[in-house]
Amino acid sequence: MDLKNLTIKKFHNGLANKDFSAFEVTKVFFDYIEEKDREIGAYLRLTKDLALSQANKVDIELAKGKELGILSGAPIAIKDNILIDGEPATAASKILGNYRASYDAAVIEKLKSAGVIFLGKTNMDEFAMGSSTENSAFKITKNPNDLERVPGGSSGGSAAAVASDMCVAALGSDTGGSIRQPAGFCGVVGLKPTYGAVSRYGLIAMASSLDQIGPIAKTVEDAAILFEAIAGKDELDSTSIDYKYKIQDTKYKIQNFTIGLPKEYFAGGLSKEVENGIEEAIKNLKSLKIEFKEISLPHTKYALSCYYIIMPAEVSANMARFDGIRYSRFLNLKSEILNLKDIYLKTRGEGFGEEVKRRIILGTFVLSSGYYDAYYIKAQKVRRLIKEDFDKAFKEVDVILTPVSPTPAFKIGEKTKDPLKMYLEDIFTIPVNLAGLPAISIPVKKYQDELPVGFQLIGKPFHEADILGIGKHYEQLAIKND
Amino acid sequence: MKIDKQNLKYLAELSKIELNEKSEDKLLKDIQAIFDYFEELKEVDTKNIESMSGGTIEKNVFREDEFMGAGTSRKLIDAFPEKENGFLKVPAVFE
Repeated sequence: MDLKNLTIKKFHNGLANKDFSAFEVTKVFFDYIEEKDREIGAYLRLTKDLALSQANKVDIELAKGKELGILSGAPIAIKDNILIDGEPATAASKILGNYRASYDAAVIEKLKSAGVIFLGKTNMDEFAMGSSTENSAFKITKNPNDLERVPGGSSGGSAAAVASDMCVAALGSDTGGSIRQPAGFCGVVGLKPTYGAVSRYGLIAMASSLDQIGPIAKTVEDAAILFEAIAGKDELDSTSIDYKYKIQDTKYKIQNFTIGLPKEYFAGGLSKEVENGIEEAIKNLKSLKIEFKEISLPHTKYALSCYYIIMPAEVSANMARFDGIRYSRFLNLKSEILNLKDIYLKTRGEGFGEEVKRRIILGTFVLSSGYYDAYYIKAQKVRRLIKEDFDKAFKEVDVILTPVSPTPAFKIGEKTKDPLKMYLEDIFTIPVNLAGLPAISIPVKKYQDELPVGFQLIGKPFHEADILGIGKHYEQLAIKND
Repeated sequence: MKIDKQNLKYLAELSKIELNEKSEDKLLKDIQAIFDYFEELKEVDTKNIESMSGGTIEKNVFREDEFMGAGTSRKLIDAFPEKENGFLKVPAVFE
């Protein structure tokens, strides 16, 4: 079986035509993963028993003549901060090393009822804090396009698994670029939905006013299929909105669309590869009769500072629950021996990695009395200005195009010593989270021997159809040019 | 804003994180660099701007305060590291 280029769509057709059974395909995937993942390190754990029993169920239904849904039997990988009932979920942190989920995340419940098969849990930066997956407490994941380079992060395991054909698609989470940047680095498609489009119930929270779950896939079409399956209102996440995305057919009209190019995103600092890639993407889009217009998002420059105040503030609150008392204990501390405070101090001191500790301490500072107004409230006001920049721009244009990151995938170890350097990786993706907008990262072309470059399309709130629509047309163009 | 070791220790204490001596200097240096970066926010005029606490639709969501069934509570209790009679066991809070 050809796992290369196996998309959700192709898999579905093969299963419907009885070219293979779901069980067979699942086994082929596990055989392949066992060999390939020694080199890549995308998975933290495989969920074999679960996957094979899910596959069996799909085959039985198929034999009974039950009509197959588009996602029936599709083998998918899940980022390790999303809970699957009964399976370990560590968020790549030592502190959750022994934790097993007690329930399904809302997105898992939805995918289960759609017949999806879960192959395993993927590596990530600890609690999704990082841009290279090097902050995982357990292992390094390598970029399938160049094993000396990072896959991006924090959903680096999911992106690498998709790019190396170890699943047909995956779920990731995105707080400041954690779906889009690794998708860009690995040459696959990544969608960060509008804040509120997808329920986060069962996602291990990092920064709750920014977090979203979204798909990472080989094609825009597959990303749209997965997004349709996971979107919608959920009583258990009060930020989720009653909004149902319907997959647009390929006739989705994009002529007479205007795409804005924010001048602040092109003001220097882009590597040659990214600059050339973006130029090529724009040229291709122009051939689709899309108009381009220069726009201005004047507060872009402050987005990184704003984010690195708001996000750690929320991190410090969300991480408080990991106290060594609830969830699992990774230190062998008996409550009779130590007092409560010592358990907290020891568990958190040893259980959290450097980046997590750094963010908790930063967040604690910006929320502390005397500094709250100067930092936290100030950042929230700047956040408003950043959002208003987008509101204004979307009066003139339908969609905004930007680079995903300033450079293609960097070398393993290149940025680990200087956190600020790592933070700057997300400079083009962060404003989108602050404003709550949907955005997609799409590879400029099919890459063979070079490092992939992606471009980002940002849409109006709840206008995923616009960016997915343009993306689909773009993809068809690329197929024609091949 | 200058952060010294004393500040750092106080913040770690508030955060309930035990720092190890070896990593303190590096942590201090990194945090200082990040704070220096924040300085740029001072130049933004935010007079009369309402702060934005996040989300797409900024209104509160309410539901009726009704019992929704035990759901996963049994499984959650089973997952407690230490338990007694269905309760989470913790060390004495007051000494």
